[in-house]
Amino acid sequence: MKRRDFLKGLSLSAVTAVVIPTVGFAADEKPKGANALAYKDALAAITGGKTPELSDKVSLKVPEIAENGAVVPVTVEVDYPMTDSDYVKAIHIFAAKNGNSRCIDAHLSPANGKAMLSTRVKLGETQEVVAVVELSNGNFLISSQSVKVTIGGCG
Amino acid sequence: MSKSKTLIKIKPNTYKNGDVVKVSFMVMHPMETGLRKDKKTGEFIPADYIKSAKFEYNGKVFTTMNIWETLSVNPVITTYMKIDGEGTLKVTFTDSKGTVEESSEDIKPKG
Repeated sequence: MKRRDFLKGLSLSAVTAVVIPTVGFAADEKPKGANALAYKDALAAITGGKTPELSDKVSLKVPEIAENGAVVPVTVEVDYPMTDSDYVKAIHIFAAKNGNSRCIDAHLSPANGKAMLSTRVKLGETQEVVAVVELSNGNFLISSQSVKVTIGGCG
Repeated sequence: MSKSKTLIKIKPNTYKNGDVVKVSFMVMHPMETGLRKDKKTGEFIPADYIKSAKFEYNGKVFTTMNIWETLSVNPVITTYMKIDGEGTLKVTFTDSKGTVEESSEDIKPKG
């Protein structure tokens, strides 16, 4: 009898584990956050209409497959000198399909010595992570990579 | 410093004047998006996230950041800084509720 009870419990828990997340996901409609801003608008607000140049000077390190969307490490490194007259002014990280696509804007200065920013972001679904780099001469560089997210991390 | 919720790490441990070192900051913060529901009451948990960060070295601001709720819980931010004499590194975080978190670390270059 004990073995039977155990098996019963096991199959029941397996069923609930499969059913509950799918039901919960379908039932509630996705609410919009107060800061929701689409990627296109967010990019336009920063570049002011300029087209960022796709560059291999910007290295964006993101895992190709993120098992947990709640913690996705992102590293942006820019191969650019940091002198007083010519430096990286800002590094922006975007998640293209998140409700609020903006993640972080870092405004750097020559005192940083090296243009690098590393942090961890939440990704709601499989999407592109974009790094936009603003240079002191007014130009913009861009780099992006798609990340496959197994379990979403927003909400 | 034990009460502070901010951790500052400098790599490598020993550095000289003029070196460019890696600095990491970890802040203990829930980073609520405002879209998550409380499982017991079924109501939305209000948004609570870090809005901005400011890094000062000897009273001079060298990096500022705008941060949104899309960063992970307990955000870790890493960047570089140039060592330029003895002094203190001060980090200030402001969250959406208006709480200000301050933390500082002594900079002691060797040689």
